[in-house]
Amino acid sequence: MNAAIVPQPIGYHSGDDDCIELRRLHRFFGETKAVYDVSFTVPRGHVFGYIGPNGAGKTTSMRILATLDLPSYGDAFVDGLSVVNDPELVRKRLGYMPDSFGTYRDVNCVEYLDFFARAYGLVGRERIARLDWVLGFTGTRGMAEKPIRGLSKGMKQRLCLGRALIHDPAVMILDEPAAGLDPRARIELRRMIRDLADRGKTVLISSHILTELAEMCDSVGIIEQGQLLATGSVDDIQRQQSHQRELTLRILDTAAGAAKRLETVESVSNVILDGELVRFAFAGELRDQASLVAQLVGEGFAIAEVTSHKKSLEDVFLQVTEGLVQ
Amino acid sequence: MSGGGSISEAAGANHPASRADKSTEFWLWLDDVCERFGDRVNPILVKETRQALKSRQFVVTFSLLLFAALAWTVAGSLSMMPQIYTTPSAQRMLVGYYIVLAIPMLLVVPLAAYRSLEGEIDDGTLELLSITFLSPKQIVLGKLASASLQMLLYFIALFPCVAYAYTLRGVDLPTVMLLMACLLVAGLLLTTIALFFAPLAVSRTGRIATLLAVLLILVMAEYAVAGLSISLILYGNPLTTQWVSFLVVATLLVAMTTGYLLTSAAAAQLTPESENRSTTLRLACSGLSATVLGLAAFAVWSLGDDSQAVLGLAGVSLLMLWTLAGSMMAAESGAMTPRIRRELPSSFLARMFLTWLTPGPTTGIVFASINVIVFGVTFDFLATEFRRQYGVVPLGPRSPDVLRQIIVLVCTYLIGYLVLVRCVMVVVRINNHPRVEIGIAAMVAVSVLGALVPYSVGMHLNDYRSYPYSPWQITNWMWTTNQAVDGSLSGLTVSLIAGFVGIGLLGCVLAAGHHVLPGRIATPDKVKQELARG
Repeated sequence: MNAAIVPQPIGYHSGDDDCIELRRLHRFFGETKAVYDVSFTVPRGHVFGYIGPNGAGKTTSMRILATLDLPSYGDAFVDGLSVVNDPELVRKRLGYMPDSFGTYRDVNCVEYLDFFARAYGLVGRERIARLDWVLGFTGTRGMAEKPIRGLSKGMKQRLCLGRALIHDPAVMILDEPAAGLDPRARIELRRMIRDLADRGKTVLISSHILTELAEMCDSVGIIEQGQLLATGSVDDIQRQQSHQRELTLRILDTAAGAAKRLETVESVSNVILDGELVRFAFAGELRDQASLVAQLVGEGFAIAEVTSHKKSLEDVFLQVTEGLVQ
Repeated sequence: MSGGGSISEAAGANHPASRADKSTEFWLWLDDVCERFGDRVNPILVKETRQALKSRQFVVTFSLLLFAALAWTVAGSLSMMPQIYTTPSAQRMLVGYYIVLAIPMLLVVPLAAYRSLEGEIDDGTLELLSITFLSPKQIVLGKLASASLQMLLYFIALFPCVAYAYTLRGVDLPTVMLLMACLLVAGLLLTTIALFFAPLAVSRTGRIATLLAVLLILVMAEYAVAGLSISLILYGNPLTTQWVSFLVVATLLVAMTTGYLLTSAAAAQLTPESENRSTTLRLACSGLSATVLGLAAFAVWSLGDDSQAVLGLAGVSLLMLWTLAGSMMAAESGAMTPRIRRELPSSFLARMFLTWLTPGPTTGIVFASINVIVFGVTFDFLATEFRRQYGVVPLGPRSPDVLRQIIVLVCTYLIGYLVLVRCVMVVVRINNHPRVEIGIAAMVAVSVLGALVPYSVGMHLNDYRSYPYSPWQITNWMWTTNQAVDGSLSGLTVSLIAGFVGIGLLGCVLAAGHHVLPGRIATPDKVKQELARG
């Protein structure tokens, strides 16, 4: 730990509903700006996806949040408690699953979980009950007596999730939990994370598998070269980046005429005719979109279908991260 | 289910048949008691014991120990037949058992403890541990407790053999007990040293270097302790009762205070720098210093004129302690996190006396200087007392004034060089964030340059011929101290050196007033509530 500590003014985040807050977080490694002025909040019970290419600063900011590293400047808060000033209080609320799996030799799964339960101060019946719940929730009961060495990657990930959950934390920080998992394991992991969010836990998760994140996250943050480029829901970010949306109309009999008509509309571009389908980009709000469709219907075009294409998280990611930070 | 419950219950919650095995209430009660006990002991000890009982290292070492003890019992006894029935034969048997026991206790267990803590760092499990409720000190003490338990098992396993050797006559019970106590204390101290070294290096090369250093220390200690113990067995105890009492007390006290210092230092290395890592170490250094001075005083009053060896050893060891500790204190970071500032002393008296325990380079220099002055004054007092009681000046100088001059010079130079180390570290810290160990390197550099530069300049000015001492050489601690030992150093020169050092120390303190008088800040209400809730 070689962070240059800069004394910070004491401050606690104002919003009671924000469970996680990163405030002007900076982390330098020599000349390298691993994290540079990153700020965002995650409301209680939300799943927040942290997206970025390798070396973007995701793991560094998650480690700071997990009290494993110190910021060079700025602070991070969990439930209003500073990770710099009150790490031991933060740890009570926090479950952290790193991207690497730390194992002990000559220890089986239940002994591993039992050890961490003891380390989190759980004793007696409470510890046994918690172990039982974690083994059941993560589906590891059947391999409780197996040595950790012999576990598959997926099983190790489940066990690691169980370890992070053992003290029933309010906040979960999951660094690449789906890395290297097969599709079934990924689906099960996704189910578990959604289940945790439904139980009121706030989850901060990073992953390279954007389709997975898109399905489980309430909001995302996109980071590149240490700088946060965008935060919010996928739709919000899409709207922030561009007001254009892709529309497809299925028009019976007169699709070619409709395509010609659309080319004359100012807010329409890139019109493509494909049989009965007319695809085009539309710049405007939803109300403008409705007016356009009504106008076409009024002009006698038989519109059978209107489809608005939502951009995928991958599209948004590529759009946001493309050369924006030099 | 028993009161505490067991982890097998959680694992086999859907296998009710597993509980049927516990047939009697006694076993259930015992299980309950063990679980409750297990809940109270350090989790690291529980985990390490589980690991150790399954590990190849423990099984192999324990089996080898039993096999070697059995083999020596048979071979040793047969080799002494038939005289074993008529002549005292315990010595030879005990030497064999000592060697069998000393190898695991002084080599294997400390090395295993080192590897265990190093393994936690390498495998990334230390990070997982550090975000639990376990403090760094608990982690280190857990490792120490686990090593102690292993030692105890080896000890118990070999106890019948030692008892058998004792029945063969030739070694008295106090000697056997002293031998075992020495082995246990040495084993614990070596484990503590090994744990201190484990988190020291970060890089791969550093790890190899620390491993080699630990191996070297363990082998040398094994050799030294074995030499002493075997001589004790074979030739008996040549020391007087007073010396034995003194050595027993001194060994225990020094081992305890050094052990506390080393475990605190190991824990400090595992503690994030936002927390106060300095105060405990400063107190531990002061505790060790006070213990050594107390033992020196005890020696002067109880051991006769032989005690000057103790006095000399105490002087050299404390000088080394405060040179190393003071250098690291002078190299501490000046930044003080809000977390540390919350715990600063607030009342007038507390600020007057306890400010020097708060982290920071300037408070560190003042703290080290106070301890060095206390050491110097006490040492001078003990030397005076020695001369009063036995009529000679201890440690060789021709007169008490010369000894006093040497003590003043040594203390003054140490404080002066600490001030210089602080100045060097101010420059180093402008664009870097070095570890405190760099302070030792800075101390070596300034002390070598302080002696070499004026000497070289003098040589150059005198056409490389020998020249007499002059006040221009006052930074040359070697030559100046040598002059004092010869009794040819003037009082004016000593006063000049002490004056310069005093001004330097004052300047150092004044230049960093905000570090010396840090303001306490309030603990937020939310944190107070959380802490009160536990």
